Amino acid sequence: MIELRGVTKTYGSKRAVDHLDLSVRAGELYAFLGPNGAGKTTTIKMVCGLLRPDSGVVKVGGFLAASPEARQLIAYVPDQPYLYEKLTGREFLRFVVEMYGLDPKSSLRRIAELIETFEMGDYIDELSESYSHGMKQRVVFASALVHDPKVLIVDEPLVGLDPRSARIVKDLFVAQARSGVAVLMSTHLLSIAEELADTIGIVDHGRMLANGTLTELRERSQMHGPLEDLFLKLTGGDRPLVDGRLLVESRESDR
Amino acid sequence: MNPDQVATRPTPPRLSTPYQMGSSFRHLRWRLMVNGLKLLATGSRLRLAMILICSAIFWAGLFFLFFGGFQFLKSFIHSGEFVEFIFGMFFLSLLVMLIFSAGIILYTGLYQSREAAYLLTTPASPDQIFAYKFFEAIAYSSWAFLLLGSPMMVSFGIVEDATWSFYAIFPIFFLSFALIPGSLGAIAALLVAAFLPRRRKTVLVVGVGLLILILTAIGFRLWGTPGELLSAGWLDGLLGRLEFSRHPLWPSRWMSLGLVASARGDWSTGLFYLGIISAHAGVAYLLAAVVARDLYRIGYGRVQGGRSSRRRWGWYGLDTAFHRVFFFLPNEIRLLILKDLRTFRRDPAQWSQFLIFFGLLAFYFVNIRRLSYDVEKPYWRNLISFLNLSVTALILSTFTSRFIFPLLSLEGRNFWVLGLLPLKRESILWGKFAFSSGISLVATEILVVLSDLMLRMGPAMIFLHMGMVAILCFGLSGISVGLGAKMPNLKEDDPSKIAAGFGGTLNLLVSLVFIFAIVMALAVPCHLYFAGQDNPEATGVPLSAGQFQFWLTVAIGISLVVGLVGTILPLRIGIKAFQKMEF
Repeated sequence: MIELRGVTKTYGSKRAVDHLDLSVRAGELYAFLGPNGAGKTTTIKMVCGLLRPDSGVVKVGGFLAASPEARQLIAYVPDQPYLYEKLTGREFLRFVVEMYGLDPKSSLRRIAELIETFEMGDYIDELSESYSHGMKQRVVFASALVHDPKVLIVDEPLVGLDPRSARIVKDLFVAQARSGVAVLMSTHLLSIAEELADTIGIVDHGRMLANGTLTELRERSQMHGPLEDLFLKLTGGDRPLVDGRLLVESRESDR
Repeated sequence: MNPDQVATRPTPPRLSTPYQMGSSFRHLRWRLMVNGLKLLATGSRLRLAMILICSAIFWAGLFFLFFGGFQFLKSFIHSGEFVEFIFGMFFLSLLVMLIFSAGIILYTGLYQSREAAYLLTTPASPDQIFAYKFFEAIAYSSWAFLLLGSPMMVSFGIVEDATWSFYAIFPIFFLSFALIPGSLGAIAALLVAAFLPRRRKTVLVVGVGLLILILTAIGFRLWGTPGELLSAGWLDGLLGRLEFSRHPLWPSRWMSLGLVASARGDWSTGLFYLGIISAHAGVAYLLAAVVARDLYRIGYGRVQGGRSSRRRWGWYGLDTAFHRVFFFLPNEIRLLILKDLRTFRRDPAQWSQFLIFFGLLAFYFVNIRRLSYDVEKPYWRNLISFLNLSVTALILSTFTSRFIFPLLSLEGRNFWVLGLLPLKRESILWGKFAFSSGISLVATEILVVLSDLMLRMGPAMIFLHMGMVAILCFGLSGISVGLGAKMPNLKEDDPSKIAAGFGGTLNLLVSLVFIFAIVMALAVPCHLYFAGQDNPEATGVPLSAGQFQFWLTVAIGISLVVGLVGTILPLRIGIKAFQKMEF
């Protein structure tokens, strides 16, 4: 459903994405990992059609990423959720329904389902200017799913969510993937990638360093410890040192 | 492998129709407006009352001003042509201002807002997003035009004995007219984003610079109109020099002719010009929408891509010098001032506006002798010196309202950084006060001394004016810092919106009252004394030298007390509120 072939994007003299190839199939949950400034958000913005690649092709569902057809298939949840401060959560969901040209009757049922799923009943009719970050994030997730997207793109999905909301969101990702949605998730939390992802891609300096299932990555790198060790090895060379020494010595029990 | 063949083409999804999309945006705008109005009605009644009363006073003030002006023109000049000139110049100025303001507002809305980033990921087409943001920008940039233009039209209608249909049709003239500069500004914003995404500030500075040059040139031409003020010869000369505003292709000319004809009952001419304006507005908007359809997404990508240049900032020698010069201030206050000073010098929006306004004033003061003000009688020189001082203070009050008032609101969002430092909360306010007073004092004292030297004022008057300016700087800084802490807007991160809100408007009004009180307290005895100097035979009101000394001492005492109260009281209120504030 998502295809990037030889994609390059430069900002002035800086190459943010460098000949990147990436593919996410329908029903696949893809975790996109990388250090800060690795090019993850730029890649995601190109998939959403917000940025155009300098070279290469980005397609969603077979359509060029910036086309209206591709945008109709996509739902995007950014790390900083955007809501209209002077709309209630329910009004915002209705706006999204109208925007996607959905049938009003069935959409009302869908909205009610999502309000229940995300446990938003207590506050959904208040103006969103009074919401906490976690509340906003839940409404944004609901708005992303209200039109039954074929591609779900999420940037840092668990920022600001309490453990219960985080669990709901994690279950939802798995459920979406099982129902045939292609889920592309960018995250710094390696534990969710380990827990949820079918496929993991590790990117640094705009280049894909490793791509495959966790087992494949471990086999290729000959490292069978936690994903963190593998990630650090690929992106910067083991654990960070201060004055040439580890800040904290690893305990055997950690292993 | 051909990249176009990487995926087989599936069945296209069902897209929303343009009608559905347009309807969803209309519904969104309606809900936002209704919810906003409900909040306003259910919120602070004092705030609502203040907004309504201030708007009514402002409207009434403008109405009487225009009414008097139009009556004067009708009674003494008898030239219908002159009114057409005034309208022509008024709408031409508005045309230029609206191009700039709509362009800037639309650029921010289309390329720098999170809402635009969200809408671009939805199925909405670029021209639909453009249309939604365009009408929002037109509303933001034109509300002042309606507030200023409606009392003008109502008073003109009354003076001309216009029928009720004139009052119904002039808003349609206004709305159609606003679309023309709005569309031109929009096209400029779209082209700059698409083709000069990294040069947008240069384009703006060059545009504003050119505008200032043109305005200065026109100003000098008008100033040099020969003949006695308001005489027939002078008026002819003036109209001759304004002939450029009567070019038949200016939309301002169509407005002028159409409105004058409609007010005088010549409906065939009035409606003809309304038709011309509406047709051009429609074409201009259509052109802007086509440019948006083709260039908005391209420009958005380029603007976002142009932001990555990381710049190293330094110039720490200046900071060291600051520490040495102000060694007597407590270290923590010095550090807070330095933080604000760095923000000020690294934000071109702040220092460029400061520089443009004070630069223009300095330019005028330097040219005072070219205008032969310095050889006028003492009465006139005194009057001009007080007017110059008042203008300087008024510009300073716009600076403190726009940049100093929002400082605390902006700080509040990052308050935990300061809150964790070993600082007393009130030190933060004193730091802001010292920063504001320092910058204001340096700029305004230089200007006022320059003005007085050019007017050949005596040393006593120069010292008096310097003292007045110092009182005004401290007072305006105290008001802005104090009210900024008392009425912060912690939800907004755009300083211009904080300044344009209720707190910012109240701050500006209080500042204006303060300036009026200080200037009038000292200007009145000086004016009465110098009026007597020019006319020694006058008895009664003009003051003798002895009386002047007495009343000037009283006035200085009053202004010192008003200045002290105006500085300390808002600061105390602000400190009290700031200490109780929870973040």
